[in-house]
Amino acid sequence: MIDALKRTLLEELWDAGPNGITLMLNGLKVTIVVTLFAIAIGVVLGIVIALMRMSKKRSLNLTARAYTELIRGTPVLVQLLIIYFVVFQAFDVNKTVAAIIAFGINSGAYVSEIIRAGIQAVSKGQMEAARSLGMPHRMAMREIIMPQAIKNILPALGNEFIVLLKETSIIGFIGGNDLMRAGNKIRSITYEATIPLIATAIIYLILTLTLSHLLARAERRMKNSD
Amino acid sequence: MIKVIDLHKYFGELEVLRGMSEQVNRGEVISIIGPSGSGKSTFLRCLNLLEEPTSGHIYIEGTDITDPSTDINKLREKVGMVFQQFNLFPHKSVLENITLAPVKLGKMSVEEANAKAAELLKRVGLEDKIAEYPSRLSGGQKQRVAIARALAMNPDIMLFDEPTSALDPEMVGEVLDVIKQLASEGMTMVVVTHEMGFAREVSNRVLFIDEGVIVENKPPEELFGNPQNERTKDFLSKVL
Repeated sequence: MIDALKRTLLEELWDAGPNGITLMLNGLKVTIVVTLFAIAIGVVLGIVIALMRMSKKRSLNLTARAYTELIRGTPVLVQLLIIYFVVFQAFDVNKTVAAIIAFGINSGAYVSEIIRAGIQAVSKGQMEAARSLGMPHRMAMREIIMPQAIKNILPALGNEFIVLLKETSIIGFIGGNDLMRAGNKIRSITYEATIPLIATAIIYLILTLTLSHLLARAERRMKNSD
Repeated sequence: MIKVIDLHKYFGELEVLRGMSEQVNRGEVISIIGPSGSGKSTFLRCLNLLEEPTSGHIYIEGTDITDPSTDINKLREKVGMVFQQFNLFPHKSVLENITLAPVKLGKMSVEEANAKAAELLKRVGLEDKIAEYPSRLSGGQKQRVAIARALAMNPDIMLFDEPTSALDPEMVGEVLDVIKQLASEGMTMVVVTHEMGFAREVSNRVLFIDEGVIVENKPPEELFGNPQNERTKDFLSKVL
């Protein structure tokens, strides 16, 4: 057991190469970077798509719907491979960047549905009351609808972030070196499966638990302001 | 003050308003009664374009509000509305509910709006609730705040859409008292209501609406005392 720990985590994995811990820490960095940037893209894209989806203009509405259906109807792995091997084939694009774009686009579809549901859950009377006082639509959205919608949106958005974090574990399929790939690499080099895989799982768990803890705190703070 | 000419409204295939014409003069209090589904709420909601009429014209203080070039937001500042379900903003305090629109729309400074809110809350008997959130108020209190909120914009006309229908019976009185007070101060009002006693006591005229048309349009003593139309008689016999 001690020997296995040494071989998988502490000793050089190959001549003048890193040890397992370094490899996993580097992978962890990639996982975190991809997740954070993909979330940022996902939220911005999600807001845009949600607004398009609720627009009265048919062309915008249809585009947003097609986008959502396309993304939700195909596996994220296929999307990742298409982005990297097809869309960016001609460009020498960094694997991490490709992954960020693929996961951002993917997450945008889910986030837009979360936002749309959150806005539509605010009672129709709120908009009517605001408009009846003479507020323009935009002001009513900003002052009345959105602050209430955020409270519906936040918990679901937190879930989406956690799902996204875990989904990034397929980055290895395009040759990116994320946390999952690091764990798996150690396994194939050392022929020792238990320690690297369990270690990988534990690190993911720590990440998701931290995320859900932060989100729970944010939610509590929102409740207090009621 | 309000002039409605041949108002029609369809919801899809269904014709809800089938040619209504009516005129409301300054200072008049009009009650609208009728069975549910008769179109009385839709008629009221057309008066500030919460529902868009399919055809016909509505003039408010001489402006045709059905004309697409009319600034509907400016018009709505002059026409206050009170809803059956109150529709207070749950994330805002009572004070903010009242001051939000006048301040954000640039009609008053924060100080002016705060002073106005305090005065209005005193009028509706809720000056001690100024810092509360709507979730801590009773239905009657919520509706009185909603009335204060609408009055904060200094409207010329007030529309009431079944203001007491969602209230527990013991709270109906406190809300009706506020509305009666307003009527006595000369506010022009259109009130959709199921409170026949209120309609009889406060209104200058009562409209009985059924199946999308104004069936009778008379002072309350005539309409309640001597209804002419069979449908009016039938309705009144059920509710009185």
